[in-house]
Amino acid sequence: MNLELYDFYQQAKGKNIIFYYCGPVAHASIEGVAQTLRKNLEYAEVGSLTTHSVFSVFIEQMQNILNYSAERISNPEGADPELRVGVVVIGHEKNGYFILCGNKVCNEDIPNLKNKLELIRGMNKEELKAFYKERRRMDPAPESKGAGLGLIEMARKGTEPIEYSFPPIDGAHSFFTIRVVVGR
Amino acid sequence: MQALIIESTQSTPSIYFDQTTNVLILKGESFPENAAKFYAPAMQWLREYLSALETEEAIVQFEIVYFNSSTSKVFMTILDMLQAEVESGKNISVLWLCDAENETAIECGEEFKEDLGSLPFKIVVL
Repeated sequence: MNLELYDFYQQAKGKNIIFYYCGPVAHASIEGVAQTLRKNLEYAEVGSLTTHSVFSVFIEQMQNILNYSAERISNPEGADPELRVGVVVIGHEKNGYFILCGNKVCNEDIPNLKNKLELIRGMNKEELKAFYKERRRMDPAPESKGAGLGLIEMARKGTEPIEYSFPPIDGAHSFFTIRVVVGR
Repeated sequence: MQALIIESTQSTPSIYFDQTTNVLILKGESFPENAAKFYAPAMQWLREYLSALETEEAIVQFEIVYFNSSTSKVFMTILDMLQAEVESGKNISVLWLCDAENETAIECGEEFKEDLGSLPFKIVVL
């Protein structure tokens, strides 16, 4: 087992992954990990703009898991907040950093997500800025737990259009992944 | 009416709204689990304060290192609320304080400013 874990660690290193989180997410875990991640980026001297962009995409992704993951763990005894399961991976590549996020979604939610992602992917920076500002002053959609701005924010921080996929899990669920690249 | 004082946490700013000095300060990080819920007491306080405010000058000071997208929406709502009061004749101005190295915070301030008209909004780079 220990050897396998070392393989896993080496594989992640080989892919230039600097951070990997998989499992239940609570607000407290976002807070704790966020501070560590920011320190890590500061020590790596990547510059304040890049640090800020990576940090921002990371927070939006973790909060999306917390708000929308269809994989939930609840306390059988009480009314404590539910935990939501997801995965976030951060690594670096030639042109900057990639931030990946994945969580289980219900298949019926896919068309809406796809429409929104395609709309955003078709926009340039100026259009994204205008769309962000327009949505910021609008009432959130009923299904949205935040402000409905997270995906637009990620697209604005990215240097490439957001990539996404929905590999199927079973008849009712898929695994929603997004990939954001932030330049150096 | 009493001052509203809320201590900061790792994900929420300190709030120091003092009706005796007419200086209202928000300072720190802002990525609460639920931004609308976190800011609800501040919004309530602000509504009461603004309805009692007369001709004296009020200053609302933001010094935010990082804020998430749902906080951005709350801030826009606050700024629109302040602007409506200015349009009805009140003397309110906003100071957006940011560290010279925090380019993102400066840019975010500029984006708020672009969307405001009559509300005096000054970006102060420290």
